[in-house]
Amino acid sequence: MLTLSKVDSFYGRSQALHGVSAAARDGTIMAVLGRNGVGKTTLLRTILGLTDRSQGAIALDGEEIGGLATHARARAGIAYVPQGRMIIPDFTIRENILMGGFAAGGARRIPEIVPVLFPYLMENLDRPGGVLSGGQQQQLAIARALACEPKVLLMDEPTEGIQPNIVEQIENSIIRLNTELGLTILLVEQNVGFARRAAQDFVMLENGRSVASGPIDTLTDDTVAKHMAI
Amino acid sequence: MSDIIFIGLSLSSILLLIALGLSITYGAMGVINMAHGELVMIGAYTAVLAGLHLNLNLFFALPLAFVTSGLAGLVIERLVIRRLYGRIIDTLLATWGVAILLQQLVRLEFGLSFLGIHVEGLGPGLQNMTVPGFLTQPFDIAGITIQPYRSFIIVVTLALTALTWWLMYRTPTGVQVRAIMRNPQIAAACGIDVRRVSALTFAYGSGLAGVAGVLLAGFKTVMPEMGAAVVIDGFLVVVVGGVGSLLGTLLSAAVLGQINGVFAILTNDILARAVVFGVVIALILWRPRGLFSFKSR
Repeated sequence: MLTLSKVDSFYGRSQALHGVSAAARDGTIMAVLGRNGVGKTTLLRTILGLTDRSQGAIALDGEEIGGLATHARARAGIAYVPQGRMIIPDFTIRENILMGGFAAGGARRIPEIVPVLFPYLMENLDRPGGVLSGGQQQQLAIARALACEPKVLLMDEPTEGIQPNIVEQIENSIIRLNTELGLTILLVEQNVGFARRAAQDFVMLENGRSVASGPIDTLTDDTVAKHMAI
Repeated sequence: MSDIIFIGLSLSSILLLIALGLSITYGAMGVINMAHGELVMIGAYTAVLAGLHLNLNLFFALPLAFVTSGLAGLVIERLVIRRLYGRIIDTLLATWGVAILLQQLVRLEFGLSFLGIHVEGLGPGLQNMTVPGFLTQPFDIAGITIQPYRSFIIVVTLALTALTWWLMYRTPTGVQVRAIMRNPQIAAACGIDVRRVSALTFAYGSGLAGVAGVLLAGFKTVMPEMGAAVVIDGFLVVVVGGVGSLLGTLLSAAVLGQINGVFAILTNDILARAVVFGVVIALILWRPRGLFSFKSR
């Protein structure tokens, strides 16, 4: 269980999050919703300690991790699939995946689920990551995060900018990671339809504040219209 | 002609050792270390002092200088650079200050000269390292005269370059260093301890500078200011080769060292410098990011 209470976060002097509280229960997907620029990405980055400064409590399974360095949070069990995927182009697919292994306790290895979900990656382990299409890079970013052997997966708009035929495949793999591996997932998503299908809970952000949250059933069309319509 | 090329190669070798350290620290940490030349100087003085006081020859001085300069680098990283990550201009100034400080420490014999104590081998004067006799006698193989000391420099450099390549491309730590070079935030999010790995990288690069200092001491005068000149050459190599590229650093050190060596012998040292600078300017205009570079930072 990942719990945030009254978290503030800063880039330089400007405050990007104001007292955000949220809890992702074990084995569930929590959707992080809101318009562009309201702090969804900042929320994920704050959990990993990638903003300049943050206050408030961030706890993983009751252990406070808010004061730890980024790498220690990753080793505690938080993995990140960033926006834009951030694949290392001149590393091979294998090297990109195994990078995640530095956060796992023991030996670095390719997780067993990767060939099941993303057979293409396994067939091309020695190709450089930079030659992959956007959808394949997204799969690679997910595989890298899985190699961290995480308890909680942070995913930032995993289907953004990806060709439509791959979108469904990525959505299904997210749901399978949650149901089959029991991974807890924080999912930043613009697509409310997918959020409703996949998530159990949601938190809605507006101007760096949490304006609505709870079980996904309680996410009304009114709330969506009020905080997400452009 | 063959011995001209030989001298050029040995100059290239020393350039390469200096530039390798600069290249990996700049690539991995985004730090321009102006005190790198002083780490070379520390290596050279380690050789001088080890010879005078411990009666250790060149072969013992090499590992000793690697450790001494490496530790000095680690201290600089801990005390100064660590506090200034991401502030490139500030690190540049701060490490320049460190460079001046280190020069003065040697000149003032760590402050002991105020107390009237003189340490043999330190101070503002010129020092020499004696090279073991069998490395100074040229010999002929198949009609070609071999300069043993120049050959020794080339062999040591090749071995250390191979070691560096192996560390960077065949070990988990090397993967971590390369990941940090490409994207430090993602590296950290993948569980890589960026600070620790950066400090180790910095110490390793400093150690290479120390070795370069020992080799340099074999044919050049050792003095407190010797680092300032070599660090500029080191930066030229890095800029021409492309930051963080091992292959680029290797090729550019070879080319620049060779140009320097050939022109110095055919004409004179000053003209050789001018030619080297001319070539560097032309190359930078042609390839602003260096001969080899990857997209990042």
